[in-house]
Amino acid sequence: MKLTLLTRNLQQKLSFLNRAISTKNQLPVLLNILIETREHAIKLSSTDLEIGIEVLCPAQIEEQGSTTVPARIFTELVTSLTDETLILQTKENKLEASTKRTKSVFQTVSSEEFPRLYETKGEKLTSLSGKEVKKEFASVVFAASTDTARPALSGVLVRKESQGFLLVATDGYRLSLRHYKANRNLTGESASFIIPARVFRELMAMKEDDSDIDVYVSREHNQVIFEQGDTRLIGRLIEAEFPNFEKIIPSDFSMSVSFEREELLNAVKTCSVFARDSAKIIKLSLTKEYIVVSSGASAVGENTVDVEASLSGEENEIAFNARYLLDVLGNIEEKEMVFDMIGPLNPGIFKIKGDESFLHLIMPIRVQG
Amino acid sequence: MNDQLDKLWKKIMQDMQQKVSHANFHTLFKNTYLISLEENIATVAVPSTIIIDLLQKRFAKDIQELLTTYHGSDVSLLFVPKVVHQQKEGGETPLFATEVVRQKPLTVGHLPRVRPDFTFQNFAVSASNQLAFASAQTVAATIGTAYNPLFLYGPVGVGKTHLMHAIANDVYQQNPMNNVVYITSEEFTNEVVDAIRSHETARMKKRFRTARLLIIDDIQFIEGKDATQEELFHTFNILIDSGSQICLTSDRPPHEIKKLEARLSSRFAGGLTVDIAAPDFELKAAIVGIKAKKYGYDIPPDVTSILAERAEDTRSLEGLLLRVITQATNLNKPITVELAEDALGNMLEEKRQHLHADDIINYVCSYYQIKPTQLRGPRRTASLVKARQVAMYLIHEELRLTLVEIGNLLGGRDHTTIIHGVEKIKSLVDNKEKITEDIMGITKSIRG
Repeated sequence: MKLTLLTRNLQQKLSFLNRAISTKNQLPVLLNILIETREHAIKLSSTDLEIGIEVLCPAQIEEQGSTTVPARIFTELVTSLTDETLILQTKENKLEASTKRTKSVFQTVSSEEFPRLYETKGEKLTSLSGKEVKKEFASVVFAASTDTARPALSGVLVRKESQGFLLVATDGYRLSLRHYKANRNLTGESASFIIPARVFRELMAMKEDDSDIDVYVSREHNQVIFEQGDTRLIGRLIEAEFPNFEKIIPSDFSMSVSFEREELLNAVKTCSVFARDSAKIIKLSLTKEYIVVSSGASAVGENTVDVEASLSGEENEIAFNARYLLDVLGNIEEKEMVFDMIGPLNPGIFKIKGDESFLHLIMPIRVQG
Repeated sequence: MNDQLDKLWKKIMQDMQQKVSHANFHTLFKNTYLISLEENIATVAVPSTIIIDLLQKRFAKDIQELLTTYHGSDVSLLFVPKVVHQQKEGGETPLFATEVVRQKPLTVGHLPRVRPDFTFQNFAVSASNQLAFASAQTVAATIGTAYNPLFLYGPVGVGKTHLMHAIANDVYQQNPMNNVVYITSEEFTNEVVDAIRSHETARMKKRFRTARLLIIDDIQFIEGKDATQEELFHTFNILIDSGSQICLTSDRPPHEIKKLEARLSSRFAGGLTVDIAAPDFELKAAIVGIKAKKYGYDIPPDVTSILAERAEDTRSLEGLLLRVITQATNLNKPITVELAEDALGNMLEEKRQHLHADDIINYVCSYYQIKPTQLRGPRRTASLVKARQVAMYLIHEELRLTLVEIGNLLGGRDHTTIIHGVEKIKSLVDNKEKITEDIMGITKSIRG
């Protein structure tokens, strides 16, 4: 294998590839990046068996071939280079990387050992417009559970609707839901699947520009592929039954209050200083003109912050875990939000003002007195 | 899933484990299952296609050979990408649990493992346990919000368990729908072990993680039990996050529990940590009153003070009290000082028979860090004299030997020297001088 490429091109691709390199308890070959030649390009792959990443990087190929190199060292070296072009060449079981002034040699592992990331791409489900969709994913994905003991809750439910997709994630204490309107025709039949939240998190870290994202799904191989530009992210589908979330979303409320998202976010941040010592409990007292955010730990102290708001319905009180409040308020970008509730023991609902497509549900904490 | 297939696969995995390094085995074979074996085709579920590819390349042949050997005929192997969830989903999470009709049901019976007679009302309070009592009451009144976790520690028989039962009873009385779990740390460990053994971790997790109030008694016994600590750690986080209350007791503060993971010990100390000291005389007297009332007796004040003086902790207090009461019922006499002395006298005698004067001398010596030869010797430096007099006093009090005998034991001293020594210490003790602590310390080690 022998090829020449622009150092800068390679540098851009490497950091994302490293997201699928895990250092713990793995096969040695998985600590490596697979390099394969293609026409006018090289294909770089990495995997931690949970997800896989593939990127193409333009190159002039002189001699076909493939090899794998240790990911961390290769990345560190390449990112430190300042010369414009880089020549990669295999010699026996070593890889030589040379520029005008530098020459480095890497120990390699045969590319035979590296697993194939997928057999077929599967059926193309849809094509999404880049930037926008990542923002919408962000408002849902954070609600998924990190506990893999409940597989369904560690993923995001994606269900096809008449005009787009429904995205839902929940960890059993809160739930985020978003209707995503696809402004182009949907192809494919598959109705709904659960995709690991991890795949979405990596997708959001993909640093391709705002070009379209193509989504491929293969039921047979239990696999999903997101493709944006020259980058492909491969994950598996979760086979489990998603909890029946429709039945827990209430339809009428006894109270509705609207407020500025950032103000409430700051108030909760301030109060969480004290909440740290009392099970992270933040109390919201909803009055006609203010949301009074308060917290207190009997051993430390207490504080309250008033946030301007306008309320319709009856005044009430409700308490939440500070972390859940910070999550929902921090992962939304819109300016104004609405909070609806039924009673202090029923889940509270956050919405974006004037936007029916988003909804976030949090289980309150029972507080006495 | 079929048990036979499971067994067969397990056997193959055991063989494979010997061929593959541990790390590789864990990465490649974790969560693989033999899901069918029909018409000589074995179907194996593997979590992802990437792993299938690795298995195909390296181990397909080995596995096939093993399958053929165990099955008896030629078997071909098929991998399918499928995640098999062996554990059933463990119950509903709070958000999906359907709301029960919010009507206060009748309080029937009492909680399992919790003694209904241990309540706040019959807990005697004095300076040594006042803080613990107040914080337990606050916790019961505002579960999950005030001090979480509440950590009580102190020596045996000071009422830690009583307070824990009282919290449980109080919370249960407020609303019988509250899920109260009371467990000792030994039982907790057993449940974790059982669950792992019988593959029912989900059920165990559900039991602990849905608790509104979780009480673990004698938490120090989880020392060095890693799996239990891990389970407790996760349970702890989930309960605190969902606003449930956790109460723990131990015989020492969290940071003194050895072989306890740092993340746990910091969490234990994250709420309120209160110590309960050994009961003082007045408290013991008050406890005698409460306990006697429970048995339906009235104890005269002078008998009460005898009992309080003799007992070291509340548990032995109850024992002594029962002895006096039994004596009174047996002899059909009223409870008097004589009767009490009589009843308790036997008990003290029994103990004394095993005790020898040399033992006392040894205890005294080790307490003051001197040698028995020095104690028996002629030197009369202040520290030696003190130790010697304490020894005289203790031998006199505990063994009731004659003054001459004591004199002989302590290097042939005159009986008047002994009289002087015993009297001197007695007067110091009566006036509660500092030496009382020494005496208490030595007596404690003598009585074990």
